[in-house]
Amino acid sequence: MRLRIPLLFILIAIVLGGLIHIMAVLALPSLAPKNAFARLKSLGEANVMIELPPVKPGEETMPMQAPDVRYAFCRYDLSAGPVRLSAVVPDDLWLIAFYTPKGDNFYAVSGADMRRGRVNMLINETGQPVPDLEGDAPEEEEVVVVESPLKEGIAMIRAPLSGASRSARTAEALKSANCAPFSR
Amino acid sequence: MRTIIFVVATFAAALFIGTGSAWYVIDHGTPLTTERIGPWASWTTEGNPLADPYTKAHLARSGRLPLTSTAARYFVARTDSDGYTLSADCEYAISGPSINARWWSLALYDDQGSVIDNPSQRYSFNSDELLRRADGTYRVNLSKNARPENWLPSGDDSGRNLVLMLRIYSPRVTDATGTGQVLPDRLPKIERKSCD
Repeated sequence: MRLRIPLLFILIAIVLGGLIHIMAVLALPSLAPKNAFARLKSLGEANVMIELPPVKPGEETMPMQAPDVRYAFCRYDLSAGPVRLSAVVPDDLWLIAFYTPKGDNFYAVSGADMRRGRVNMLINETGQPVPDLEGDAPEEEEVVVVESPLKEGIAMIRAPLSGASRSARTAEALKSANCAPFSR
Repeated sequence: MRTIIFVVATFAAALFIGTGSAWYVIDHGTPLTTERIGPWASWTTEGNPLADPYTKAHLARSGRLPLTSTAARYFVARTDSDGYTLSADCEYAISGPSINARWWSLALYDDQGSVIDNPSQRYSFNSDELLRRADGTYRVNLSKNARPENWLPSGDDSGRNLVLMLRIYSPRVTDATGTGQVLPDRLPKIERKSCD
């Protein structure tokens, strides 16, 4: 009979340990103070396009940033209405990806999926009415409506560098990327 | 008295079991979350909104902002192909065949995820700039001192642990869920040549 008491405590420890395990795993995404969104948020205000500086040892915005990809991001805030994003996409390699503040990449489109040239996007909160876009862009350019599940998020443009000779052109194209509140 | 000791010990054990196991699966991964091929590890649903809680916790802790696995795959190596920790004190030959993707890049970091200072400012090689042999294979020489072919400098600090990341954008082969597939034999081998 005396042996049963430690056994009971061991069982309790395992069950309790399991609960702590589950709570720790579920709580971590909300508790991590230096997630990517927090790092990017510290670089500037919302609804503007911000280019990340090329990586330098010890000065990266995020850990394990690609040294041969140029990044520009827009931290959008849809509380005052939709936000538009436009860019000139010079090649197939570009990727435009949309994230929730917790880093869920809910939408991504590559340069190969877009017709070359200017890309116009309207970021709209899911469930909110899409504004009338008639006549908003020249006829040959369609406006892609991106439904954001949350009011806040990140739109990240990745421009992989394909050799040093083309990096100047990529940098130039990235500067043309723009992010601003949508207004009629 | 004995009961109090038992209760305290139980709670201490529970805390140890709970946080220890959580830390391990978030940091290291399990076969359910993480694909392991030789020295390479990849969190298969990283960045995906439908990812499991372990992958989401791993991502939040990492501070990275990866593309979802249908757009890109990321493979991380902290050891060579024989399982020894990658070190700036050693010289490695990283070799493999071409990878079926629109673009890919092999980058070197320290264990904090920062690139390593070197005079030629060479931190990575990507599929467009890599020197290849006639049969399409390549070899990247990871070492402190300059080497022919593709030289990836590991810096002057001795004792530093190294991390390699292979990022593969738009893999051309996908599974039924659209997750990019990289065949195991396409991932480069990391062979240790010599150590100081």
